[in-house]
Amino acid sequence: MDELIKLVKTYRLTAGVADRLRLAEDIFRLIEPNLRFFVFKAIRPPAAEDVLQEVLKAVAIGLRKFSGDSREQFWAWCYRIARNKLNDHFHGQATNRELPMHQDELWQLVESSAQVSPLSPADRHDLEYAMKLVTASKPECYDYLWKHFVFGLAYGEIAEEQNLSYDSVRMKIGRCLDEAKLLVS
Amino acid sequence: MFGRSQIARFLIMPKQNPDAELALHKLGQRIREGFAKKHPTPDKSFDTVRDAVREQYEQDQAAEREKKPAPDAAKDQERQPPEPEQDR
Repeated sequence: MDELIKLVKTYRLTAGVADRLRLAEDIFRLIEPNLRFFVFKAIRPPAAEDVLQEVLKAVAIGLRKFSGDSREQFWAWCYRIARNKLNDHFHGQATNRELPMHQDELWQLVESSAQVSPLSPADRHDLEYAMKLVTASKPECYDYLWKHFVFGLAYGEIAEEQNLSYDSVRMKIGRCLDEAKLLVS
Repeated sequence: MFGRSQIARFLIMPKQNPDAELALHKLGQRIREGFAKKHPTPDKSFDTVRDAVREQYEQDQAAEREKKPAPDAAKDQERQPPEPEQDR
């Protein structure tokens, strides 16, 4: 079983406060960076830090009530909380558009990841191509591609967020991908 | 031999576009990993989480106490004298 979901399931069954604290620390060490990335891509600092702390608090408080069984369900649940907090921050206005990142900024993150697991020439070739696809996309497509591939949101999660059906999200992403491929070919 | 190495084979390969979905998944993973490397979880976040866990624990304990009758009240109930038998 995936390490994250194993920790979450154990946390749900744990009664003692010391054990809960230890498990929560392990869980948040795994999820905090992704939630931070999600929030900081939607709002600029310093407000982003406050919203992130609210997200972390809400996730920690609700952890024992999370009833899913898979890593995907857990992430969907976390991102739902984060989206709700972002909406609260914008007083109910939709916050679907991500703050676009500069290509240089993206490459810096890729290079940072290479310090942990080095990039082969083939990896670099793939990443250059992917970068071209993302940056060539039109704004709406950029949002969809970013959500699905960069944040790793499943079609269902995007559908829920955008109030669309699963199939229309799947088709939109497919069309965006085809369009981006044409633009960079 | 250099000519057989992976790098050399890559360099002489005709440049073809890779699988777009696979490349984008790879990019997403690298970006998330890079962000996590550049922004390790700060103490502030752990403090928020610890406070929330303690708060939740207190709430759970309070709910437990409400569910169970207090030990004294339970004992008092046990000690109550039996109902006097009704006159037949």
